[in-house]
Amino acid sequence: MADKRVGNVFMPGDVLEDLQVSESVKKIVLGPGLIDDGNRIKISKPGILRFREPGIYWIDCHQKRYVPSKGDSVIGIITQKAGDIFRVDIGGSEQASLSYLSFEGATKRNRPDVKVGDIVYAKLLVANKDMEPEVVCIDSYGRSSGMGVIRNGGFLFNASLNLVRKLLSPQCALVKSLGHRFQFELAVGLNGRVWAKSKSDIQTIAMANGIMASEFMDNNQIKAMCKRLSRAVSGMEVE
Amino acid sequence: MAGMELLSDQGFRMDGRKSNELRRIRFKKGVFNQADGSAYLEQGNTKVLAAVYGPHEIRGSKSKALHDRVLINCQYSMATFSTQDRKRRPRGDRKSQEMTSHLKQTFDAVVLTELYPKTQLDIYVEVLQSDGGNYCASVNAATLALMDAGIPMKDYVIACAGSFTRETPIIDINHLEESSGGAEVIMAILPRCDQIVFLEMNSRLHEDHLSAVMDHVMAGCKDIFNVLNQQVREELVRRTVQDSLVDSG
Amino acid sequence: MRETPLSNCEKEFILNNIKEHRRLDGRNAYDYRDIRISFGVSLGCCHVEMGKTKVLAQVSCEVGQPKQTRPHDGVLFVNVELSPMASPAFEQGRPSEESVELSRLMERCLKESRCVDLESLCIVSGEKVWHVRVDIHVLNHEGNILDCSSIAAISALAHFKRPDVSVQGEEITIHPLEEKDPVGLSIHHMPLLVSFSFFLQGKYLLVDPSEKEEKVMDGKMVIGMNKHREICTLQVTGQNLLLKDQVLRCSSIAVTKVTKTTELIVQALENDKQARLRGEKHGFAEQISSEKVTSNHWRETQVKVKEEVMSASGGSGAESEDVDSDMEAGSGDSQTDAARLKDVEPNVDIVARGVGAIGEGGASRWLDLPKTTQTSKNKGKLKRSHPEETEVKQEYDEDSEEETQTVLNGVQ
Repeated sequence: MADKRVGNVFMPGDVLEDLQVSESVKKIVLGPGLIDDGNRIKISKPGILRFREPGIYWIDCHQKRYVPSKGDSVIGIITQKAGDIFRVDIGGSEQASLSYLSFEGATKRNRPDVKVGDIVYAKLLVANKDMEPEVVCIDSYGRSSGMGVIRNGGFLFNASLNLVRKLLSPQCALVKSLGHRFQFELAVGLNGRVWAKSKSDIQTIAMANGIMASEFMDNNQIKAMCKRLSRAVSGMEVE
Repeated sequence: MAGMELLSDQGFRMDGRKSNELRRIRFKKGVFNQADGSAYLEQGNTKVLAAVYGPHEIRGSKSKALHDRVLINCQYSMATFSTQDRKRRPRGDRKSQEMTSHLKQTFDAVVLTELYPKTQLDIYVEVLQSDGGNYCASVNAATLALMDAGIPMKDYVIACAGSFTRETPIIDINHLEESSGGAEVIMAILPRCDQIVFLEMNSRLHEDHLSAVMDHVMAGCKDIFNVLNQQVREELVRRTVQDSLVDSG
Repeated sequence: MRETPLSNCEKEFILNNIKEHRRLDGRNAYDYRDIRISFGVSLGCCHVEMGKTKVLAQVSCEVGQPKQTRPHDGVLFVNVELSPMASPAFEQGRPSEESVELSRLMERCLKESRCVDLESLCIVSGEKVWHVRVDIHVLNHEGNILDCSSIAAISALAHFKRPDVSVQGEEITIHPLEEKDPVGLSIHHMPLLVSFSFFLQGKYLLVDPSEKEEKVMDGKMVIGMNKHREICTLQVTGQNLLLKDQVLRCSSIAVTKVTKTTELIVQALENDKQARLRGEKHGFAEQISSEKVTSNHWRETQVKVKEEVMSASGGSGAESEDVDSDMEAGSGDSQTDAARLKDVEPNVDIVARGVGAIGEGGASRWLDLPKTTQTSKNKGKLKRSHPEETEVKQEYDEDSEEETQTVLNGVQ
């Protein structure tokens, strides 16, 4: 059962008293934005309080800068090749390292085909505040499961962290209504980077602009915008 | 400046040249033995020295290295005795920094940079006497120095400055003509392909005259190129003849 | 600070689109972005926005000694500050190479073209003259700060008024603003800079490059011109090799751009003057809407689609409905396309789910870790969707303790 204050706006310094705990779970998890200060729970970021079963609370804050956290799937840009590792820019304070063996099917003899400037979809293996982050492009079974170098064109753009989390939620209205009208491929990194590819460049540009513009729209506006976009694009392509 | 005319009625300028005549050019290559390539160039009273080092290891921070090209590092410096009033700062003031970055851009476009990735090429230019056309003399001297060092380039880079007065374009302007307030057009081109590497214009010039001035300046550049090319070729031929004499002997 | 590097994917995408005469924000090759000029309360303060690029220029004056070589002329200083708030690439401290280049270009455009009459700034010949200073601060760098700076500088100079001076024999009185009305500077002409960027060895040309386009370009040409078609400054930079007719073509394009922009500046100056005369409120505070604390809104960019005009980027809610109704009228042939799309089953498939967890190691920073995450490990399967259906590759790993979105009341 969620606390009834979920969905309200809180400011840094506010105190949450008597946070409701579900009967089945003994402990609650305080996510980003909540701090346990002795016997009280204090808010440290401005935003909306959210809840997830079975007992995780967090503050949904508007943020553009990504702070690496373990287990996130991100889109990185290769900046350097240094011996056995690649240096990947993931938008955090430090560049992450990516070993060349962390690709599917890579061995000491069989190096992966990666150049400086390529984009990769990777997962953060190590990310804490004291160490340089490390990313990998395989899971612990050795399969790539969709990760690796993103090839074949498409367009990479930046969005705020809230927008990417919205895109990744199962009920995202934007992805659904875009899906009604366009054919596209979308890779969303939790560091605020989104890669999109559609049938033609016009559609890709239109989609990218649509996604970037939908940050502050509600679902109805999003649906209306997608309708207009598809009409405009089909108009442009008939030309 | 009342009473001084850049172009007299008979078509002569202050130093007796006609509107499309160049100043006297004298140069020498290989003047330093420490530098990989060097040259000394005189254009009229403007005297310039250029030295080239490289391609060598990147000095300073390795992060500045470009992974696929050579990093060109230029330094333009004017000797304190080069101008009429003693210059307090030989380098580091805004005009010198601007000149440095222009030289760097010019040579970035002409040197075949992809052949030496992760290395650095230094071009040092020192102006010993400044009488107008500093940038042009620097570019010409640096081209000769690069050739002396054996750095592969797309073509010679030749620069020339021109102005427009009394409905006539004049080329290879000296300091007096520069500071008289008329328009100044500086161009650096690759003479054999007619491509413009660098173009700068100061003061006011009406759009209609732009084409004529550009044509004249390009013709001036080609003349300078002929002068330089002829002498460089002769020297090269002479050296090859000497080498073959040594081999046969 | 280290700037985000440009990936090969973005570079290729932008270049491919330029080859087909398309830009990312829907502009034509020779179009400027939306220019907004606003003036502050103090005289000589001007803020210019070109798309998202924002530049602020301020003109100030003081009395000082003239230059030795020109004892009858006032002195004009121009300085461009690349504020570190404008872009992560700008650093604090020593002016970088780029900042020196910009300052020099602005200096040449304003000083060497003699747009401001310096002789009128003389108070006592050889002893006291006015020193006029133009300080240009770049507040946000979204491409093409040069054009924006030149518009800001010249507008600020035209807006500025210096205190009146009266000389009686040996005595010089500088009247404060309350005593006598200030006097404007006499501006002969308005030189404006126009930037052209070249792509693919000079084959393609764009006016007013945005930040991403600037990163991809081969080289740049800047032409400073006034509306009388006099070229005040010209500079070609970068690594491109140009031909003479390219330069001439650019100068003729610059003529049209400069005329239009000059009209805009004159209009803005006129509006400000009227507002001050009528005693209306003026200044920057008026430009900021007072309804919301945040300024999070996008101005619509008009993108021409055949005969219809529609916005490519969204705006605030009310406007979108109006445009929608415009769309209904003219979109005859697109109805069939829309109908065809509706037949497709809206089936958004997740192609690959996360199939395994990366080995855990190290303590979690969250307070406690519930054990529920283990069960979803074996659920993932790869669904291959049919090619004509819409395909969404969602990298959605259920193991992560990530903040999954539980959207409760719809998005704010």
